[in-house]
Amino acid sequence: MIDLKILTQAVGDLDEKVILGIINDFVATNPSGEDAQKVVLACQQGMAIVGDLFEKNEYYVGDLIFAGELLSQTIELLKPVLSGEATQKVGSMVIGTVEGDLHDIGKNIFGSMAEAAGFEVYDLGIDVSPRAFVDKIKEVKPDIVGMSGVLTLAIDAMRNTVKALEEAGIREGVKVIIGGNPVNEDACKQIGADAFTTNAAEGLKTCQGWVK
Amino acid sequence: MTDAVAMTNERNQMFRDLFSGKTPKRVPLSNPATQDFAIQYAGLDLAECQWDLTKLEPVYEKFCQDFVTDTYPGGSIRLPSHYQILGSTPIVMSSSGFMQHPEVVGLLAEEYDEFIASPYDCIVEKVLPRLFTELNGAPGKVAMTLAKAMRAQSDDLAYLGTIRAKMNAKYGYATMMGALTEAPFDFMADFLRSFKGISGDVRRYPDKIAAACEAVLPLMIKKGTLPNPAMLGYTFIPLHMAPYLRDKDFATLYWPTFKKLVETMAGMGQNVQLFVEQDWMRYLDYLYELPENTIMRFEYGDPKLVKEKLGKKHIISGFYPITLLQTGTKQQCVDKAKELMDVLAPGGKYWFQADKSVINFEAKGPVADNMRAVLEYVHENGTY
Repeated sequence: MIDLKILTQAVGDLDEKVILGIINDFVATNPSGEDAQKVVLACQQGMAIVGDLFEKNEYYVGDLIFAGELLSQTIELLKPVLSGEATQKVGSMVIGTVEGDLHDIGKNIFGSMAEAAGFEVYDLGIDVSPRAFVDKIKEVKPDIVGMSGVLTLAIDAMRNTVKALEEAGIREGVKVIIGGNPVNEDACKQIGADAFTTNAAEGLKTCQGWVK
Repeated sequence: MTDAVAMTNERNQMFRDLFSGKTPKRVPLSNPATQDFAIQYAGLDLAECQWDLTKLEPVYEKFCQDFVTDTYPGGSIRLPSHYQILGSTPIVMSSSGFMQHPEVVGLLAEEYDEFIASPYDCIVEKVLPRLFTELNGAPGKVAMTLAKAMRAQSDDLAYLGTIRAKMNAKYGYATMMGALTEAPFDFMADFLRSFKGISGDVRRYPDKIAAACEAVLPLMIKKGTLPNPAMLGYTFIPLHMAPYLRDKDFATLYWPTFKKLVETMAGMGQNVQLFVEQDWMRYLDYLYELPENTIMRFEYGDPKLVKEKLGKKHIISGFYPITLLQTGTKQQCVDKAKELMDVLAPGGKYWFQADKSVINFEAKGPVADNMRAVLEYVHENGTY
């Protein structure tokens, strides 16, 4: 078995060469699904380091994006040895960039960090209508709904989406978090969301608090 | 001389004073709302009006009539016709009719060397056909597409220019020229490597990014050059990626060619307006190094600190939080304008603009009334 501490640290350092080296060597040993789960956990712990460094202003958004890319590369490499092993999910969420807005970088960062933290994430993509949110929420019954947007018009779209959840009678069953450049406390109140964030790491902590 | 001509002269003088470091007779102001807002405010369909520009004259008439401003409120406009003809992927219309810039990759990582060797050739041969689907095909067809698109764009711009001239003649706005360019690193990110791509490149091939920024700098300078540098106007540079970088990456990859760009513009006698997007507070010492009277419109940060650090050398603008127009009362909105002017106007070198553009209008919402109150307040009370 590989040294998981070194792997965790390499993920925290965003050291691509070391990470891919370790993972490739590991997969080549044809490991058990159980060991593969331990490797995933070590990577998740590395992502937590990345989140901490982000909060300390040592890493910035560019680093989070790169971290997300490294993590999906890693999971891709591990897939063949992970199959069959059901992962314990900590919770589920439906996320999307709201209607009228095509920006998805913030949503993608948040989504990949949430996946790394063990959430089942249903990503509806960009320019998502209130109807599409409602349909997906009815289908998968998530714990959390995450709405993202960069343009100021996103505030109106978020409000309309919450309204649609209320009209469909499903608002009470979920926690709603909004994220992106234009959101703040006042907007959050007006929209009727449960929380807001302009910081993916902080938003994830809020979500983790909800599913504890 | 008509009243409108006299007003234009007076406003032009205010901006000439502002841009040359003198204190204007009052604080100049610009309406933060855009054509998108204006179309909805007139009760018309956003997508339709951007295709059929003949609908726009009454739109601007109402917009100009109802909101006082010193500069023509047309803003920078992306019209769909030529983008559609070109099969654009970097600029597209969303379901609600807003033209936007999604994440696109125009240049692959393995093409850096080719780009560095000859950026212009690489853009024409590799990047454009990738970003604009209709430029990818047989040369004859591409030539026709390009001709059609350029004709459509020049017709559209001519039409908007006519409206602008009419509004200027009636409302007496300052007549300013504008050019637009990007910091080399931002250009590499926004149109060539994407936000995600460049974030990986910063770790994987920093030397290639630095070389690519140097290579593309002459094109960015050319793009930002006004027809005549003595004209009243400025080169607008919206800044994008710096807040997402670590300090050391900013220092080595972003700053050197961006600084050269601004210095070159200033050296040619042109004013430069930076839209300092997102939070640049950790870079204020860098911004201080930019040429005197560079205009800096801030989106976020501490206005007091900025005034203190940069306000004697540079022209400060922005900061007014437009989300307040949506969530605040009229009094709160006006108080915020007063608070910002109290901090930023003393000693001159201040231009009232908001932190972002107002692009959306809801008939039942408070934005229009609040914005009108703020603009009127600044117009009447904006003294230095």
